Amino acid sequence: MNERRLLRLAILVFWTLFWGLSVADKIIPDVQHLWVGKDFFALFIKFFGSLGLKNPLFATAALALVSALEAMNFGLYLAALISFRKGDAAVTDCWFFRAILASMVLFSLFSIADQVFGDRFQLLEHGLFWIILLASWIVFRHVPMAEDTTVSLIPTEETRWTVVAGIILTLATSAVLWRFSEATFHNVEDPVVGKEVVHGLYKFDFPFLADKVVWENTINTFKEAHPELKVRYIYTGPSELNSKKKTHLLLYVFTEPA
Amino acid sequence: MDTPRTPAPPTPQLLRYAILLYWSIFWLFNMLDKAIGGAHFLWVGRDRFAQFQKYFASVGLDSPHVANAALAVAAALEAFAFLFFAGALLNELRGRTRSSHRWALIGTLFTMGTFTFFSIGDHWFGDRFELLEHTLFWFVSLASWVVFTRLKADEDTTPVALPRPQRIVAALTGGVLIITTAAAIFQHNQSDFHKRSAAITAEPVGDHIYKVAFPFLGGSTVFENTLAQFKEEHPKEAIQHIYTVPNPLRLKKADALIFYILTEDTP
Repeated sequence: MNERRLLRLAILVFWTLFWGLSVADKIIPDVQHLWVGKDFFALFIKFFGSLGLKNPLFATAALALVSALEAMNFGLYLAALISFRKGDAAVTDCWFFRAILASMVLFSLFSIADQVFGDRFQLLEHGLFWIILLASWIVFRHVPMAEDTTVSLIPTEETRWTVVAGIILTLATSAVLWRFSEATFHNVEDPVVGKEVVHGLYKFDFPFLADKVVWENTINTFKEAHPELKVRYIYTGPSELNSKKKTHLLLYVFTEPA
Repeated sequence: MDTPRTPAPPTPQLLRYAILLYWSIFWLFNMLDKAIGGAHFLWVGRDRFAQFQKYFASVGLDSPHVANAALAVAAALEAFAFLFFAGALLNELRGRTRSSHRWALIGTLFTMGTFTFFSIGDHWFGDRFELLEHTLFWFVSLASWVVFTRLKADEDTTPVALPRPQRIVAALTGGVLIITTAAAIFQHNQSDFHKRSAAITAEPVGDHIYKVAFPFLGGSTVFENTLAQFKEEHPKEAIQHIYTVPNPLRLKKADALIFYILTEDTP
């Protein structure tokens, strides 16, 4: 496959997956086994609620409209990908142009909503997606690319060594990752040991793997280890107390004699 | 006797080196981050195992082997992206432009493939911020490839000799700005670094209510020292509650962490 076809394929695969998974996220509601996704229904209900439109019909209708447009987008990208597979460049361009235009319209609608609902971060996010779509089209259609540069499957001496080096690097990295995982996985449930930083005040530095189970185990273990103390108050350290990316969560437990 | 100066590489060639060097370093450090794992002295990085494990646990796949397998796939993609960009850079340095082009193309395809792989995960796990981040990187990779192919390594660019007076003025202005900025920073360090650990005096703002306004340098040590000092200064009061002022109540970027200590008299 030549350079032009490879990059076109990469662009088509990315956007087809993007819209296909967006549609799947709308079909699968809430959090399920094997799928988390984003709860767009809750988001839309809150957005419309903030406008004073508390009836869920508004949010439901808006979400249905968005989902329909996304499904249409996905269909257009899929058609472009199938045409590409068949090698019909003109038809691929036609489908892809329609898909890009439809996606840009959808992001324009999202941007209008972001302004109405006052969500500036989402406005930035949708604006960025919009420009990436436009740029993808320009690269796909208008940037001339070499037709003679191909990625050959016949290995040369250099590529053979690169593949060997890549396999060694992957195995070495995976071995380290496996060892790190074995060494730290107990943090998923092990209680954190507290340190008395001020008289009667204990600090717990939670690891990155910790979640609510660790919190429960930590408090229960602490109570068992200190029957002479009564937990008076628990304070969750705000992010400003963390050492940037090194600290995950700080918890302070205030105690008094039982 | 004057030796003739070696002509500097043309501008497009320097930019081609810069693009290949950037992606080589980018993937090398991503791999290093995975290989080191966890926070150590002189390296914090990101705990990818914890991140992947939590993602998979959120969809009900608790086993660490699932996270390990996904990380191994990511590591493989990153290793090959690194090797192909490093190979492209070596070929470019040797003047083998055609080979460099081919290697960089494979490196770009691995890069785009890696970010496509990550964005599938972002949809699956519902992390929209990471989806934006990975889409941006996907696009940056595509854009840098387009720029790379448009820059002709052998294009002749006529170097412009900067006039001597302009160079002298630029050097002097730069020197003055560097000295002024450095002096201001060192002075700030001398006057304020103690705030990294010094306790803050709680200011009474109501009946049994005290306000603590943190400096931007403050962290957990300041918090602990502040509470220790507070307990020493108020032996007849017990801390009943600490209320952290939420962001909407702070003056945008001018206020750092603010919290209130609510107390009651000890019996």
